[in-house]
Amino acid sequence: MIVFPLKNKKQHRILMLALLRWRIHCEQPNKMALPAKLVASIKLFNGLPCGSLASRCTAVSPIMHQRTKSTYKLVSPDKPDMSWDGVTDRASDYMFMKELLQGMAITFGHIFKEPATINYPFEKGPLSPRFRGEHALRRYPSGEERCIACKLCEAICPAQAITIEAETRADGSRRTTRYDIDMTKCIYCGFCQEACPVDAIVEGPNFEYATETHEELLYNKEKLLNNGDMWEGEIAANIQAEHLYR
Amino acid sequence: MAKIATEGILAKLKKVKDIVKFNGGVWNSIVTLYRTDELKQGELVGEDKYGNKYYRNDEHIMGRNKWVVYSDKVGMNYDGSQVPAEWHRWLSDMTDTPPTVKPPLQHRWMIDHIENKTGTQQRYVPYSTTRAKIQSWQPPAPSK
Amino acid sequence: MYPDEVTSKWELPPFNPNAPDPGEQMIRNMTINFGPQHPAAHGVLRLLLTLDGETVVRADPHIGLLHRGTEKLIEYKTYTQALPYFDRLDYVSMMCNEQCFSLAIEKLLNIEVPERAKFIRVLFAELTRIQNHIMGVGTHALDVGAMTPFFWMFEEREKTMEFYERVSGARMHAAYVRPGGVAMDLPMGLMDDMYDWSRKFVARIDEMDDLLTNNRIWIQRTKDIGIVSSEDALNYGFSGVMLRGSGIKWDLRKAQPYDAYDQVEFEVPIGENGDTYDRYLCRMEEMRQSLHIIQQCLNKMPAGEIKTDDHKVVPPTRAEMKTSMEALIHHFKLFTEGYSVPPGSTYTAIEAPKGEFGVYLVSDGSSKPYRCKIKAPGFAHLAGLDMVSRNHMLADVVALIGVYL
Repeated sequence: MIVFPLKNKKQHRILMLALLRWRIHCEQPNKMALPAKLVASIKLFNGLPCGSLASRCTAVSPIMHQRTKSTYKLVSPDKPDMSWDGVTDRASDYMFMKELLQGMAITFGHIFKEPATINYPFEKGPLSPRFRGEHALRRYPSGEERCIACKLCEAICPAQAITIEAETRADGSRRTTRYDIDMTKCIYCGFCQEACPVDAIVEGPNFEYATETHEELLYNKEKLLNNGDMWEGEIAANIQAEHLYR
Repeated sequence: MAKIATEGILAKLKKVKDIVKFNGGVWNSIVTLYRTDELKQGELVGEDKYGNKYYRNDEHIMGRNKWVVYSDKVGMNYDGSQVPAEWHRWLSDMTDTPPTVKPPLQHRWMIDHIENKTGTQQRYVPYSTTRAKIQSWQPPAPSK
Repeated sequence: MYPDEVTSKWELPPFNPNAPDPGEQMIRNMTINFGPQHPAAHGVLRLLLTLDGETVVRADPHIGLLHRGTEKLIEYKTYTQALPYFDRLDYVSMMCNEQCFSLAIEKLLNIEVPERAKFIRVLFAELTRIQNHIMGVGTHALDVGAMTPFFWMFEEREKTMEFYERVSGARMHAAYVRPGGVAMDLPMGLMDDMYDWSRKFVARIDEMDDLLTNNRIWIQRTKDIGIVSSEDALNYGFSGVMLRGSGIKWDLRKAQPYDAYDQVEFEVPIGENGDTYDRYLCRMEEMRQSLHIIQQCLNKMPAGEIKTDDHKVVPPTRAEMKTSMEALIHHFKLFTEGYSVPPGSTYTAIEAPKGEFGVYLVSDGSSKPYRCKIKAPGFAHLAGLDMVSRNHMLADVVALIGVYL
């Protein structure tokens, strides 16, 4: 962007005029296509001579490198037609409540359409394999738990909802002793399952785990492993369905 | 005349009759209507081991074309969380292949489906899975 | 019923002949609370209205009911962790907020996003715009008294949320647009379904148009209500529809095109009266234009990567992470420490559905932002509410808030 040092108002005006000319030059090819009303609508800042030009030039400020073809479009309603025909048409529309009856006809037509309401819990809305619902801790096919307590999920969790404690197990492998998720803190962003290098923590497809009390949502490791054992069929199928994108 | 029978009001009446017949007579239809607020007819896709029956009818819009009729055992205490994982996937439109066609993954460590037990005695109560890091001080027994 | 010779001579007795002369009285304007429990305030705004009868003398907006200390929290999070906060700022235009934050980080990092990611971002930004305008126009009509369009349009909004869910896994708080691209590629079949939907959605806009645009009640409630002159609109820092409804040709998508907006064609609706009705018309037209952009994006969607391949910024794919040691190290580094952003500052703004949404990001070279100032469009609009609603009727304030939020 070029910066012009401007000393006074006159220089400013000259610059603005130059910019305006440039703009008109740029717009020349499609200027004919513009509706006359649109050109007339550029009536901003009528009282301010400098501002008027400045605001006109904002459409093509020098920072804009590439001009796109399309432009602006006026959507304000037209001025009412004051010819005899126009006035009588409007009067009859008003008297016979044309637009109200039109609206009611559309509403009436909707009675015959099948309702879009889903009769939950018998019918359920569609979900995708990517759905991020209730958390679960998975196991390897052998039954060994996957989580190795690397604590990446704990580190990335924006809401700090995950608490992990780890110990070396009797067989020498590193496993968690505590894996708590505060489901009321969790914001279901899915970062934990993205972070997990062994696909242990996942956000499963279940969303029907609302509880009566707060404490029931403070999940510990057993609860999460139980979720995994219960939902593994679906979780594994979903991960497989998504393997192209992961 | 034939047109009335195939798509006119007679066809509608026949459909009502079919739906009532499908739901097992007038009385059973009333019971179903009371339980599910809706009478529908569809193809029975399968039944899970908890007694929930799954139906499908693609005449309805997506989202309404698959539905579950909860087991008679639960009566009016039906809940969305009673659908087990393998059928949940089918019911939520993640797949069109029901588990009757493609049996789900089985591992010996997988457990049965548990519905949401909140509000009952069997609800989940959190507890610590680690040993306590601090022991409370036991006052020494006074020597007599 | 009509006075005759006799009854016309009857006189009403004075109300209380024994009462003393009231003399000069001090009367005060009435001050009432409008919101936050008022349904038209949508739970996020409290107005202290000083009323003279039913005329608003002064409106004092008390904001901050959604204040969650986001800016301060972000200073203590890595850039990755800060991203989900942006979903929750304006929770009806989620992906636009994410896009703004991602663009700001990309500017500081000086990285280029692959073409496909740009188009996906534009596609979903415009879907978000439609989602937002459905909510905006729908609840506006609901507040003014037209309940039907709200229900019809929410059926469509549900569908857009299903698209969100299919692409990101969450119906609202997507965390989908990430610095360096987007989180995951579009699933198979999504583009077909979006195209189908975009073909059908036009008819739903027309339905709403038929119900509202010419409806005399709607016109009486919105036309010439809350007129903002173009000068006032600029002086009060309005943006988006509030600015365009007043006749100012300003749209950041045109003025400084970001992502793929320079590669799609669209028209920006401008109103010239600056009243609530014109802003409603602008929103309706913007929805149509958004559909136009969505269809162009679907047609032009290039093949290729959806993230930059710079694994110092963007985590490697899972397949890579599980086979390559280097990728695993990158993965661990990115999910613990995050990536460090070179020192510098940027103000990056996008045209969010409500107006200019900007992020002023200062980096000190660490992996956490030194400062993140968020410029939300609604803040300036609500600050101007006093100026706009003055001398309007109480019921007009509802119509005004509907178009402001």
